[in-house]
Amino acid sequence: MDDKDREILQMLQGRFPLESEPYRVIGDKLWMDEVSVISRIARMYESGAIRYLGPFFDSRKLGYKGCLAAIDAPADRVDAIAAVINGYSEITHNYLREGSPNIWFTVIAPSEERREQIFAEIRQKTGVKDILIFASKKLFKVRLILTRRQ
Amino acid sequence: MDSKTRQILCELQDGFKLETRPFKRIANKVGCTEEEVIEIISKCRDDGIIRRIGAAIRPEQIGHAANALVAWDVSEENVDEIGTALAELREISHCYERECPPGWNYNLFTMIHARSEEELRNIVAGISERFKFNGFKIFRTEKELKKTSMRYFEEAQP
Repeated sequence: MDDKDREILQMLQGRFPLESEPYRVIGDKLWMDEVSVISRIARMYESGAIRYLGPFFDSRKLGYKGCLAAIDAPADRVDAIAAVINGYSEITHNYLREGSPNIWFTVIAPSEERREQIFAEIRQKTGVKDILIFASKKLFKVRLILTRRQ
Repeated sequence: MDSKTRQILCELQDGFKLETRPFKRIANKVGCTEEEVIEIISKCRDDGIIRRIGAAIRPEQIGHAANALVAWDVSEENVDEIGTALAELREISHCYERECPPGWNYNLFTMIHARSEEELRNIVAGISERFKFNGFKIFRTEKELKKTSMRYFEEAQP
């Protein structure tokens, strides 16, 4: 990734131009042509630096309830438990972390009933009894880290 | 939300295709003009239904080698002040106050991103000296097991 890529990433973390030819608008600001902007974004997709490009919705404004949950899984059961958790489309993020509990995941469900159902199924399928549940109370920040120059 | 808005958001929810006129494609698919699509998306962004339009980046791919969830034990009367201050820090991408299960006192959750283990330690140390905490816990990211974007809209049945 070079400086030009970083400049593009920087632009993509701000306000995406809602205009007919958004990549031309980005290119104009960075002294690049539209095709170069698009091909550099494509390359960053391929390398894995960019995971997604598009809108991020506010789940609460759409009537969904979100929470963070954690399970303390024995090392030899992490893969099996993660496979069960990852099977739910309502679970969008799942991370293995050092410490206890070690599996941390987010659940976004259209209702509390559905959320409880998911937890009940995970308990049943994995045999794990304790799932720590952390409902969000107040959001102070969700924003991507700005790219830093090395 | 009207059905046209819903249709447009449904088309958008998997992200943009990489092409010169992404909104034109959606307009063709939904059966309205490109201007209308842009206007409706702008309105959703103004209303806050869309909180941001842009890229999601994998932190480890852009030089953030040390990432951690750090949960802080903050007393009720300080949580607003500290949460607001932590949200200002560029190394922090997520900051939430959360309800906690019995026996768990770490109520302020932050995601911290650093380029090295040493930098991570310094950031955490800096924060812990600056504010009044009863304690904190670090959960370093070992491995991403799943990361996707939520699909909120279902395709209309044919």
